[in-house]
Amino acid sequence: MTPSLLHPPSQLSPADALHLSQEAPAVLQGSPSTVSSSPLAALFSAKETPELWLKYENLLLSCLRTGDEQAAHQCLERLVARLGNNNERVLAFKGLLKEAEAKNNNELERVLKEYDQILSENDTNIPITKRRISLLRSMGRVSEAASSLVQLLDFSPTDAEAWSELADVYLTQGLYPQAIYALEEVLVLAPNAWNIHARLGEMQYMAATAPGAGGGSYQKYIAEALKRFSRSIELCDDYLRGYYGLKLVTTKLLNDTAKPSRQAEEDEFALPDVGTIERLNELATAKLSEIVRHSTAQDRGWRGYDAAEVAAAKELLSKDAAAVSGIER
Amino acid sequence: MAQVPVQTIHRDPQLFYWILFPITIVMILTGVLRHYATVLMATAAKKVDRKTMREQRSLVHGIGVRSNFHVLSKRSFTTRRDALTTAYESGAFLKDPENRGQAPPNPLSDPSSMEGMMGMMKNQMAMIIPNTLIMSWINAFFSGYVIMKLPFPLTIKFKSMLQAGVATKDMDPRWMSSISWYFLCIFGLQSVFNFILGNDNAASQMAQQMGQMGPPTGQMFGPGVDPDKQFLAEAENLAVIEHYSVLDGVEQRLLEGITA
Repeated sequence: MTPSLLHPPSQLSPADALHLSQEAPAVLQGSPSTVSSSPLAALFSAKETPELWLKYENLLLSCLRTGDEQAAHQCLERLVARLGNNNERVLAFKGLLKEAEAKNNNELERVLKEYDQILSENDTNIPITKRRISLLRSMGRVSEAASSLVQLLDFSPTDAEAWSELADVYLTQGLYPQAIYALEEVLVLAPNAWNIHARLGEMQYMAATAPGAGGGSYQKYIAEALKRFSRSIELCDDYLRGYYGLKLVTTKLLNDTAKPSRQAEEDEFALPDVGTIERLNELATAKLSEIVRHSTAQDRGWRGYDAAEVAAAKELLSKDAAAVSGIER
Repeated sequence: MAQVPVQTIHRDPQLFYWILFPITIVMILTGVLRHYATVLMATAAKKVDRKTMREQRSLVHGIGVRSNFHVLSKRSFTTRRDALTTAYESGAFLKDPENRGQAPPNPLSDPSSMEGMMGMMKNQMAMIIPNTLIMSWINAFFSGYVIMKLPFPLTIKFKSMLQAGVATKDMDPRWMSSISWYFLCIFGLQSVFNFILGNDNAASQMAQQMGQMGPPTGQMFGPGVDPDKQFLAEAENLAVIEHYSVLDGVEQRLLEGITA
């Protein structure tokens, strides 16, 4: 499947991004550089569509990723010509270009100062706020980035992107309860996002297996992780990450010799009984091996899985098989 | 029964070129001009300052929590509910907390809402002024003429529509006066404007009138709505939720769903 320029390129593999940016000259030549708004010209030329500007933005991102700064500048020029110098998004893209071209830390500091300058004039400029946060994060000032994110979310608590970034920041700092809280906010805004359900399950699994987790919180986290993975599979059939997590959690639970030390409190999720966990484990194993088999054979309808994820699933399965044969022997 | 004799009126063929075409062209040109006048007069979307944004988005956040509470576990839902209701009831999200409890300001005295009304006035003016001018122009120069005969028969009911300005009782309704041609142009040029100016043009007054009759949009944060009352209502809505989670029994559903 060729990647489309109409989707943000952040999820693309390096090869796809390279492919996109190599097509940049053709795309730039094939699309009009400016769109006249006079009625006569509109009669004879193609209509201006929002997709065109979206295409330029995504092309700009791909080009920056592959280091084609000349084409990126061309995209930016066209955006500026249409949307003006002071558009919020255009300002953010300009900053992004400067960040990409900065050679050393001092130049990055200067870009950061420019962001502060823009924000002092207009403190609701959300694209610039976000660029500033990600610049802070990439400069290693993670706690500053986190506090800026919290400030942003205070006046704009309906921003799913910011919430998930905050969850990621907290996760890198090992603050599991905060990360889980932030990710739950994403779920409140997008209740059927199966990837977020699975991600939350992963975070809860991490929190449960973290060295500091005691008996009570371990049980709470692992029970909810089990349920989150189940929900993500329920929302999206054959979801590799969901099955992977389910298998991981159920295996962990089955191997745990220690019985649950106490009953779950009223407002917590209770673990299902051992029979159910075993059946879930079997289901996950069967599905995972099916996915691995089909996707290594490149069967029709089973493509599109991430190669690394399939390899990880394969490894998990073989580890499991080794453990089982070890017990039998 | 005798056939009704076909009425013939001898018209100067020049009427066609000197009345019909000019009226049509003038109508199209005013439509185009009106479109560009509206585009030029349109004020940029007003900047929302930080406190207003905070007030509005906090309310939306509460609504989100209320409608999607089922993705949360009971404990995290209760935490959020407690935090939100406390903040809502204490007015922590309000734009100006000192105005709490006072009557909402008169929307006419609020400058920000005045601007919206001015915009509406401007649009109305852009519609009314050219129409009045053209109407009086036509009345002054072309009133009282019959300019064309429609190529199809019509019933007598159409007489008042097509022969405005020509008070002749017995004339066949197929004859058409210049004023009526003007009215036909008002209502019939929409597709011409669509062709010239694109689909979302501001040239046709028909579309604007339809827009005014449509349901009012964006009333949630409109002027004259007291945000404090909205917050209190939302706090109540949150407080009465009987929590359940979509995660309750999800593993059973999964096992049944996959094996079935």
